[in-house]
Amino acid sequence: MNRLRLFFWCLLLILWLAAPVQAGEAALRLLHINDFHGFAEPYQPLAAPELLGGMAALAGTVDRLRAERPTLLLAAGDMIQGNNWANLFQGKSSIELMNAMGFDAMVLGNHEFDFGQQVLTERIKEARFPVLGANVRGLGLIKPYVIKKVNGLRVAIIGVVTADTPTHTSPKNVAGLKFSPPAEAVANCLKELKGKADLVVVLSHIGYQEDRALAAQVPGIDVIVGGHSHTKVTTPERINQTVIVQAWEHGKVLGVLDLDLKDGKIVKYSGRLVEIKPGSGPVDAKVLEIVARYSQQVNALLDRPVGKTEVDLNGEQVRLRETNLGDLVADIMRRATGADVALLNGGTIRTSIRRGEIKAKDIYTVLPFDNYLVAIRMTGRQLKQALEHGVSGLPEGSGRFPQVSGLSFNCSRGAPPGSRVREVLVGGQPLQPGKVYVVATHDFLAAGGDGYRSFGEALKAGTGFRLLGGALTSKNLVYNNPGVWLRDLVIDYLKSRPAISPATEGRIKEVG
Amino acid sequence: MKVYVNRQPVEVLPGMTVRHALLAANLLDSLAEGKKPYDEWGHEVGLDGALTPEMKIHLK
Repeated sequence: MNRLRLFFWCLLLILWLAAPVQAGEAALRLLHINDFHGFAEPYQPLAAPELLGGMAALAGTVDRLRAERPTLLLAAGDMIQGNNWANLFQGKSSIELMNAMGFDAMVLGNHEFDFGQQVLTERIKEARFPVLGANVRGLGLIKPYVIKKVNGLRVAIIGVVTADTPTHTSPKNVAGLKFSPPAEAVANCLKELKGKADLVVVLSHIGYQEDRALAAQVPGIDVIVGGHSHTKVTTPERINQTVIVQAWEHGKVLGVLDLDLKDGKIVKYSGRLVEIKPGSGPVDAKVLEIVARYSQQVNALLDRPVGKTEVDLNGEQVRLRETNLGDLVADIMRRATGADVALLNGGTIRTSIRRGEIKAKDIYTVLPFDNYLVAIRMTGRQLKQALEHGVSGLPEGSGRFPQVSGLSFNCSRGAPPGSRVREVLVGGQPLQPGKVYVVATHDFLAAGGDGYRSFGEALKAGTGFRLLGGALTSKNLVYNNPGVWLRDLVIDYLKSRPAISPATEGRIKEVG
Repeated sequence: MKVYVNRQPVEVLPGMTVRHALLAANLLDSLAEGKKPYDEWGHEVGLDGALTPEMKIHLK
């Protein structure tokens, strides 16, 4: 009898354990970050009164919250590129950090492609978590979705990245890849997942506006964990039956979404963003070691020589006249983009470099801003307007003063602003007002920085961006590479030569 | 693409961020006054956040 009773209870236990989850209740916690961009150390954002972020503190918070509930830790893209802490190791540091933290899944962000497909493939191989991209074809090792079993729940995680990725990076980084509309990819995955998942999470790197549109357009998504737009969604939003969250940027907050499910449906949810800053809680020692180790390597790398100059490089007078350092940087810009002409504002260059060895940190001090290159088709008239604007601040020095390559002009300080630029030669030939030239500059000026309007005007005249074979084509935009900073191009140039000795060449002559 | 900053339309390049939009609208200096950018649903957005066509940003 006792054996029979024992058998009966064992059978009951087996049946209870094997019972489909839909018949019961389950709790799940989703922890999420997005757009980390290598900000592993705490930092003080613009206009912020204190340091924020820090992955050791974030990891400590993850450890604590994980212990409270069955949890999945998710990354919504843009994890391996951005800050020196990531860039100088091409994201290897980020992956090591994420492995140590035990991430459960990550979706590709547009910036994951910035180091090229070969490097990205290496990073994916190093990752001890699946890397997702349901709407990306042609890149091996990524998966459209993964099913995680947590607390008896089958959680499907589908990853999608913005289909605009080819416009956010160099075309060579996405050669051979196809990016389809995220909604279409999600809908296809949902068909495959029918009957196989108790909860569907879309891990998205398409931006908050697009997340809302996705939720409105595609039924059957329980949660969208978002990124790309760096949106601080302090309490979750719900569109139809889909809960949408996003955790700002740079690890300054950790997203927490608690879900209670019954019979396969979310019956209760609550979400919040936990602020992360130094002293906000215990740190994770392993992550602290990883952060510190790579930070030390950053300092060591920045202290390394990258080149040599046989002359002083003048960064002091860039706001008043042509200098050899201005010429050098402009030449590098023109070369990198294949443009006819390059123009940058003197204010981009912050200091000089003395004759002798050049270290990486010297270039970082000369060019501290995260500027990237663009090249735009402009008429000769628009180019001259840009030059006039550049010299309009004289005789006072101003950040807008132009440093140029591929052209020369005379500047009459005594003339009124707007009428100072004379005898412009492009490639040795007189500038023709109606002719179209390809002009390299950087994103700050292209967006209208320092009052430069000509670039925006030129771009407006050629609106209608479209993709052909993954590459950006547009009437007036010739080159656009947000993934590579100007200063890294300068470093690469210096490394390629035993020494440099730039001299001013009379590109900007003062007359009358 | 066109986005709006405090209802002012500005043109920016693909790949540009909230920072560029504020620059194009001549409002980047507002950040030093303590203002922050928000989307049309009232969520603060990071300066490096991506833009989407017709996005509406408000500084407050």
